[in-house]
Amino acid sequence: MIRRLLIANRGEIAVRIIRACRELGIRTVAVYSDADAGAQHVLQADQAVRLGPPPPRESYLNAAAIIDAARLTGADAIHPGYGFLSERPTFARACEEAGIVFVGPPSSAIERMGSKVGARRLMQDAGVPVVPGEAPADQSDEALTSAALRIGFPVLIKPSAGGGGIGMKVVRDAATLAESVAAARREAQAAFGDGTLYVERLVDRPRHVEVQVFADAHGQVVHLFERECSMQRRHQKVIEESPSPALTPAVRARMGAAAVAAARAAGYRNAGTIEFLLEGTGDEAQFYFLEMNTRLQVEHPVTEVVTGIDLVHLQLRIASGEPLPWTQDALSQRGHAIECRIYAEDPAQGFLPQAGPLLLYREPQGPGIRVDSGFVEGGEISVHYDPMVAKLIVHGETRDHARRRAVAALRRYPVLGVRTNIPFLITLLEHPRFVDGSVDTGFLDREGDDIRRLLPTTLPAVGFAAAAAHRPAARPGASGHGTAATEVADPYVTLGGWRNR
Amino acid sequence: MTPITLKLGTRTVVARVDPQGHVHIDDAAFAVTAAGAGLYLVDDGSRRWHVAVADAGDARWVAVDGQVAVIEVEGASRGARKKTARADAMMAPMPATVVKLLVEPGQAVTEGETVLVLEAMKMELPVRAPRDGVVAAVHCRQGELVQPGVALVDLE
Repeated sequence: MIRRLLIANRGEIAVRIIRACRELGIRTVAVYSDADAGAQHVLQADQAVRLGPPPPRESYLNAAAIIDAARLTGADAIHPGYGFLSERPTFARACEEAGIVFVGPPSSAIERMGSKVGARRLMQDAGVPVVPGEAPADQSDEALTSAALRIGFPVLIKPSAGGGGIGMKVVRDAATLAESVAAARREAQAAFGDGTLYVERLVDRPRHVEVQVFADAHGQVVHLFERECSMQRRHQKVIEESPSPALTPAVRARMGAAAVAAARAAGYRNAGTIEFLLEGTGDEAQFYFLEMNTRLQVEHPVTEVVTGIDLVHLQLRIASGEPLPWTQDALSQRGHAIECRIYAEDPAQGFLPQAGPLLLYREPQGPGIRVDSGFVEGGEISVHYDPMVAKLIVHGETRDHARRRAVAALRRYPVLGVRTNIPFLITLLEHPRFVDGSVDTGFLDREGDDIRRLLPTTLPAVGFAAAAAHRPAARPGASGHGTAATEVADPYVTLGGWRNR
Repeated sequence: MTPITLKLGTRTVVARVDPQGHVHIDDAAFAVTAAGAGLYLVDDGSRRWHVAVADAGDARWVAVDGQVAVIEVEGASRGARKKTARADAMMAPMPATVVKLLVEPGQAVTEGETVLVLEAMKMELPVRAPRDGVVAAVHCRQGELVQPGVALVDLE
């Protein structure tokens, strides 16, 4: 079993992995940039090693510094989390060569599935359906344009090396193609160090449904059912759930079997996700292989909640060489889970990312409520990294129960100091299209502006009343405004300044 | 009962806090009870609301039932330091890196034309000209990390 694990990541996922290690008795080593010296993942790990200045290239993407940190601290394994180095075959290989266990697939599998072109071919050979598209060997604007014309507009331009929607552009006509190609190439080069682009047919009003797979080193592969991720804005997922309201039992079974076949064809090991586009409804719905994410996903908690399986525990066991502890027949989905991603962004300003201090930050609690976050009150959302603050995950007996629980939790989730998408999430969860489960991946991009108009604009008078009565705790006597609000004698009140540090 | 003037957008609210801790706004009275650091229970006579409040300079951030507002409190600090926004200046909306600078002094631009491209949090943000005009000055370089509220490009 792994004894000491280095977590090559930051934020909520690093904190979540550290928690799993604590449960399993594994020592933890955090790494950090100068911007994160006081961050939660650094404070919660047993040890922490500085990597460098804030820019990712000089810190969380610096593979050599991370391997050095593992050697220095005697870590026998590295968990890459998601993003950063998680899907770089060179990093997995460097770990393998240094004799450090990479908690993830073999570098060869990352390489195989990391190239969208190669992965498509592999999937076609394995009998997994794919969307029509191509990646011209000649990457000139002219060659990409003629590829787009052959496939037929609208097309999707994607970085061959990418993930997470970065650099992806929808192009509806030849006139705007050159501009999108240039932007996609630039973003792909900046984010992945590889500007190779891929062009594919845009499937009309598809849903994004993905299947969690797990493979051990002993030839066993299982799937842990699906996650519905159609609620996305500019290819960035916003709300995920399991089960998908769109899958019939027959399609679910077909999709699960296809995902297992895909993982086998990839020579896969550990946790992975097969993303599919779903077109149509009922038992006749068609699905196409989109890509494989060769890592733990941001939205993995919804699978944990409905299957009752801790995916990070399982990752660590598989990485230690243990076999999968159960067969496919033993797995089931129970109840319904919904995850909402809390982003520091301002819906009123076109979802502009926000940076700033968390002046007040209180997570909701209660039955069926889980919050995965990397921040505490007094922390700072930095400009250098992803603007995700936390994930709210709820579990209910039914989809509607989970949905109502999520709304109630978000209403008791005050985040002050930076604007977040919480008001927008509440509006989405109450939107008739989400309520009836009929959202496709283009829904938010088409109707987001109309939905933003549904956001409450008039602050209830009680908000002004509390603002008038408020007296800052840190500056006693600074307020000249009459009497402060009456104090309630409650032990939790006297613990008001207490922080989980 | 010193009146407190609160401003939110175009809305101005005058509140009075009486010695019993009740807040009066127009004809309505609210019983406000502290319920933890920055947390208040506010009774409007028909139900109780949970409200969170945090101070940030002259402003108070308020959260009510998932809705967030930043309310300006008049007289909350001595000497209001107002940011003077220049209509002819283009600024970064947040800390960001200049990835592309597309204009130089003396160049004519049309309304909506992209003058520079910023990158922040893995996203590219184009900054566009607010009107037709001629670039008077450029205050940033490609690759530079810039702060919000600082003019990057001025129009004549």
